[in-house]
Amino acid sequence: MIDEPYRWVEAIANRREYIEHELASGSPTMALSCAEGVLLFTFGKERKKIFEIYDRIAMGGIGHPGDLERLRMLAIELASTEGFTRSAADVSLRRMVNYSFSPTLKQAFEQIYGAPYLARLLFVELGDDPDLDLFVRLDYDGAMHGNAMAPGKFRDHFGVISGTRRSTEAIEAYLRGTKLGGLEEALTTAIRAWAIGLFMADEEHREVPEEAVLHEFLRERLPEYTVEAALLERRSRMRIAFVELDEKKLAKSMDPFRT
Amino acid sequence: MDVIEPRDRFPGIPEAQSVESNDFVSVLRRRGALARPVTAVAPSAITETQATTILAFKFADGVLVAGDRRATAGNVVMYDRADKVLEIDRHSVMAIAGSPATAWEMARVLEHSFQFYRRSQLQEMSVEGKVRALSKLLRDNLGMVIQGVGVVVPLFATFDTKAAEPAKVFFYDAMGAQFEATDFAASGSGGPSVRSILYYENTWGSKPLRERDQAAAITVALRALDTAAESDTATGGVDRYGKIFPVIKVIGRDGIQSIEHDELASRFQAALT
Repeated sequence: MIDEPYRWVEAIANRREYIEHELASGSPTMALSCAEGVLLFTFGKERKKIFEIYDRIAMGGIGHPGDLERLRMLAIELASTEGFTRSAADVSLRRMVNYSFSPTLKQAFEQIYGAPYLARLLFVELGDDPDLDLFVRLDYDGAMHGNAMAPGKFRDHFGVISGTRRSTEAIEAYLRGTKLGGLEEALTTAIRAWAIGLFMADEEHREVPEEAVLHEFLRERLPEYTVEAALLERRSRMRIAFVELDEKKLAKSMDPFRT
Repeated sequence: MDVIEPRDRFPGIPEAQSVESNDFVSVLRRRGALARPVTAVAPSAITETQATTILAFKFADGVLVAGDRRATAGNVVMYDRADKVLEIDRHSVMAIAGSPATAWEMARVLEHSFQFYRRSQLQEMSVEGKVRALSKLLRDNLGMVIQGVGVVVPLFATFDTKAAEPAKVFFYDAMGAQFEATDFAASGSGGPSVRSILYYENTWGSKPLRERDQAAAITVALRALDTAAESDTATGGVDRYGKIFPVIKVIGRDGIQSIEHDELASRFQAALT
């Protein structure tokens, strides 16, 4: 029956609806350029969502842990093999997402007898300066959204993934109004952005909250979550730029939101 | 009866999750990105390039690893700025003696293997695992060793931040046997003289190597390589005219530090007078 074109479109639509439903509860995960590098930031309940892929590439992901794991391994394998056979400088996020990830995801999504990937990914590649940082959001169907994939386009200094489109758009709108600064500023911005994303994920919340409402909303929720953050360090002494930021280092930025 | 492959015993589990998936060498092999080991060719008539004389010893703050700069092919000096002391990860250094063609490739495989393991498994490989990984690479090179080309005899030094005795030095034979050194190790054509010097310094010197500070350790390394070069033409030692100094790296709790040219020059000058 799926041989009929109409049925195929219907099957794809069903599948999309199912995946969107599964992803809807995903916690907003974002990456922000700052002077020191690129901050990757999220709050989670139990699973890790931010990973190192290569010397200057990191990944954030929401979705099914099994699928995230397969995609993460694919990314590490691709980057490591390229880095080994050529050089670390030849490992490029742009090539990786365009030639490997997008086609792989699209194929899995459209082959309706097989299982699709229940995952939404955010890839980040650190540039020599903030204008060269690359952020790519990659969806389960292979669709891509990058901050610098098309020439001449205004470059955002951030990348976001979230459970729903509403939540993602609310965070993006907020981040577009913020300025590029240092790491501490970026952390505070990220905490706010996350709260806005979670707030707006609730269909009943029509508008982005006032500061006081947001603060209260965040204070109530923080005890349930653990913070997860990493920095791709721009001026790293080592070739490897990825550093995890532990809770102690984040305390200064978090504490004002706890009271 | 059919033989059941181990993988088939767990139907539904793709290869990507099998045991070898966390081993980068297996990944490279699967992707055809690794040079095939040479099995049988006629003994070679080419004169092979050799890199020579490396040493490692423990001192008060960690481990010092040093190597001279000369690479030779027979009687010819191929290169006088070879770097035989290679950083593998934040706390590990591999020093190479023997054929650079094989050794640099091994260092590259090793570096990528450790990073691959750490990134994919989300934990650092144990020191035992790292030492063993190098041993495996040497074993894979056995075919070459038997024919007398591409022989590598490396040293591996690391600082295990979690261990009670963090500084560790390992040395190998060409077939991959691994040995842990108590205080020091040396390899390459100038290795025997360096070994004697380090033994003498450690046993009969002013105090054991382990109790000396970084400045004193650097001086010992410079003197040892200079002495080795005195009788071994394949060892570069310290080139006072060309101002070429050995490569010296120290590994401590905070990672690896390469000793700068200027510091080596002033320490060597101070040791002379």
